[in-house]
Amino acid sequence: MNRSIRILYLTLAVGFAVLVLMLGYWQVVAAGGLDERADNPYTMERQRLVDRGRIISADKVILAESITYREKGTKYYRRYYPQGALAAQVVGYATPEQGATGLEQHYNRYLAGSYGTGAILDRLREETKEGADIRLTLDTRVQKTAEALLAHRHGAVVAIEPRTGKVLALASSPAFDLNDVSQDFASIRRQTGAPLLNRATGGLYPPGSTFKVVTVTAALGTGTWSAGSTFDDKGVYVVDGRPIYNAAKHRFGLHNLTDALTFSINTTFAQIGDTLGGRTLGREMTRFGFALPTEIDLPSGEVAVSGRYRNGTLLPNDQRDEDSARIAIGQENLQVTPIQMAMVAGAIANGGRMMRPYLMRRTITRDGVVIRQQYPEEVGSVASAYIASEVGRMMRNVVSEGTGARAGLAGLSVAGKTGTAETGDPKRNQAWFIGYAPADNPKVAVAVVIEDTSGTGGTQAAPIAGEVMRMALSIGPVQGEPTG
Amino acid sequence: MSLRAREAGFLIPALILGLLGLAAGASARTDSLQAGPWETALGVVMVFVVMHAVLRLRAPLSDPYLVPLMAALTGIGLAMLYRIDPGLAGDQALWVTLGGIVFCAVIVFMPDHRVLERYRYVIGVAAVLLLVFTMAFGTEVNGSRLWIEIGGGQRVQPGELAKVLMVIFLAGYLREKREVLAIPTQRRLGMNLPAPRHLAPIVVLWGAALAVVVVLNDFGTALLFFGVFLAMLYLATSRALYMALGIGLFVAGSLAIWAAVPRIGARMDSWLHPFDDVQGTGYQMVQSLYALADGGVVGPGFGRALLVTEGGTPRIPALETDFIFSAVSNDLGYVGAIGVMLLYVLLMARGFAIATAARDGFSKLLAGGLTAVVGLQAFIIIGGVVRLVPLTGVTLPFISYGGSSVVVNFGIAALLLVISHRSRQGLVEAVRGIPTT
Repeated sequence: MNRSIRILYLTLAVGFAVLVLMLGYWQVVAAGGLDERADNPYTMERQRLVDRGRIISADKVILAESITYREKGTKYYRRYYPQGALAAQVVGYATPEQGATGLEQHYNRYLAGSYGTGAILDRLREETKEGADIRLTLDTRVQKTAEALLAHRHGAVVAIEPRTGKVLALASSPAFDLNDVSQDFASIRRQTGAPLLNRATGGLYPPGSTFKVVTVTAALGTGTWSAGSTFDDKGVYVVDGRPIYNAAKHRFGLHNLTDALTFSINTTFAQIGDTLGGRTLGREMTRFGFALPTEIDLPSGEVAVSGRYRNGTLLPNDQRDEDSARIAIGQENLQVTPIQMAMVAGAIANGGRMMRPYLMRRTITRDGVVIRQQYPEEVGSVASAYIASEVGRMMRNVVSEGTGARAGLAGLSVAGKTGTAETGDPKRNQAWFIGYAPADNPKVAVAVVIEDTSGTGGTQAAPIAGEVMRMALSIGPVQGEPTG
Repeated sequence: MSLRAREAGFLIPALILGLLGLAAGASARTDSLQAGPWETALGVVMVFVVMHAVLRLRAPLSDPYLVPLMAALTGIGLAMLYRIDPGLAGDQALWVTLGGIVFCAVIVFMPDHRVLERYRYVIGVAAVLLLVFTMAFGTEVNGSRLWIEIGGGQRVQPGELAKVLMVIFLAGYLREKREVLAIPTQRRLGMNLPAPRHLAPIVVLWGAALAVVVVLNDFGTALLFFGVFLAMLYLATSRALYMALGIGLFVAGSLAIWAAVPRIGARMDSWLHPFDDVQGTGYQMVQSLYALADGGVVGPGFGRALLVTEGGTPRIPALETDFIFSAVSNDLGYVGAIGVMLLYVLLMARGFAIATAARDGFSKLLAGGLTAVVGLQAFIIIGGVVRLVPLTGVTLPFISYGGSSVVVNFGIAALLLVISHRSRQGLVEAVRGIPTT
């Protein structure tokens, strides 16, 4: 029987060895993943012991900081947002109860000080963790201007530096006070207009005629058309038995391609789209980043993908059997984010090279050691420098004598394109403007969208874009920053 | 060095471990250096000193490592309970005292365990009656019907005692039948099997174990009973086939019940997919996994993990009983948890060494069976906590909160020591040429 006893003992001992392995899986291998889960109460509790880093704008305004309080002899930290609702959706919040959003979530690792080897040593020594500061490209002067112009309306404004991709402003209205999150989150959720949604990156809107910038780029790219190519508008263009009209059923007669963009002539762009076909137009859309995730440094859940949606599903850009005439004028279930359209304008402004938009300029410890420095990155090329300059020239005309006149700035040349997406209800248009300035040496590119307005892109969005660009040009470049 | 001196030599550091744990837990609680609940600590130390003294007098030749291992586990358990809720540690100290009394009583009043063999059927019937009684009149707690109310708000778990009674019965029964069970008389389905009338008990117990799953709604108890039965069957017959056959039948039966009984199906689902319903059925498991992850490699130390909310409620339901191992892993980390598991492996090593050294079949089966009960029970509950097996409501021997469990485990240890003493005494007498009784 002694042999059986030995074997039984070994069997049980092997069982315990399996337990040791399994426990190791949870405590060592899977531990990191479990710690990061939003509903993990340990992570939330630990957050209160962390002296999170600050979030500071390009003009050195503190947007988020940690303040201490004592409870039962322990020093805890909680988040304070000195600017309240300014850039609320971008900064985001970080509370033990509601988790984290925006930059607070995206750069949590740095803000919470869980980077590098120092953190492990800290944890062993049970010391307070100290996070690093995040310095932004965002400038509160531009941001404030954008938010003031959006006040009491629903919409978004994006301003980027076309040459670098630096985000100067990312405004979404309505907003909420970040300090209310830990006090009364329920009341924020009850508010109408979904203030928690970052419309600038997560809002999907039909682009309307602003999409004609993509169409015209594709058209010039084929070599079939040039800025001077002539068209004859009969006031209607019929595709699949359904007519396409111009705004107010206007009939333009003989005109060239520049005129078509300047006055946003639907029939001409529908004809171009029809001729280009879904594949060619789709290829250009892909180059502009449609149907691809926008790689801005915000949580992926807060950034929507622009493109064509059917029943909530994203379609590939280059489906052959599609109505490319209607895609060309921004219809056919196109849904785009303001950040995507700002990138379209920015790419044209930057000689056809599209830059990755970014908010974090550098990550820096309290002792001034730079941990991360963001340099401009090119996403890809949307067009040759020549074609980009041709499209830019046409967009200048839009502002100087066409639908975008109200974005014009005294003494400066502005390039742009308006858009008015109709929803069927004439009081509920989505008004768009995308553009950049100065046209000959672009420093800022913008996208503006205003929801549910009876006006048009030209009357509603263009003036806001002009004001935001004026402010962006008045602040000058951020000192001491490499521009790549 | 004498065996008892060796026991004392190991008992002192084992007790110091528990005292340090209590002091560390108390210090973490108030954030200042504290000695901890010294009355409780002193009481428990006294219990072990008395146990040691009784062994010196009545069983001087018994195994010297078992009591220090018990002391280490009990000490860790008290320290963990104290850090969860000081009141629990006070209660547990009382149960340890009661366990010590039972321990000493077994040593003093049962100098020869072989008397149990004579009453094997009475004991077997008692075990079954206890279980049936629980099934009929038990109180359901946390979905499992394992408790009997005894008035004054106190509950006992008859299953804890029943498992020991069953081991005693099986030791006697299997010693009697081992030859007929070991010798195959027929060939069925390519397997050499004994006569059906000898095989019947296996089938009956298989059915009983499954009945326990359904009626008591407790997979753990069933797994424990059936596992111990198979282990002892293997010890008695040395035939691995029975073990394989038994495990196969149990798994097949469990799967069938899983499919047929929705209540048990839900339990299995929360085991397989706890993250599907974090706030509902998966809550306990997920909170426990978070605790394990939080513990990491070294853990923050006794009383330093965030196991209990500021209001004093444990984050994991049943933390002091079923999930005490999560608390150990969280406070002491992977390293500390491995240490505790090693203590169980050492405990089994001593128990099986006692079985090996025993000089008759009944003693071997009894010692092996009792050791298997403790080892399997630790395995099942730790396995449940680390999600290796479905989670079940059995206690972690010597560590979990609970009077029935503590008292019964102290009794098991006493029985093992009696067996150990008898076999060494027999050896000594045999060497001296004195005939054994």
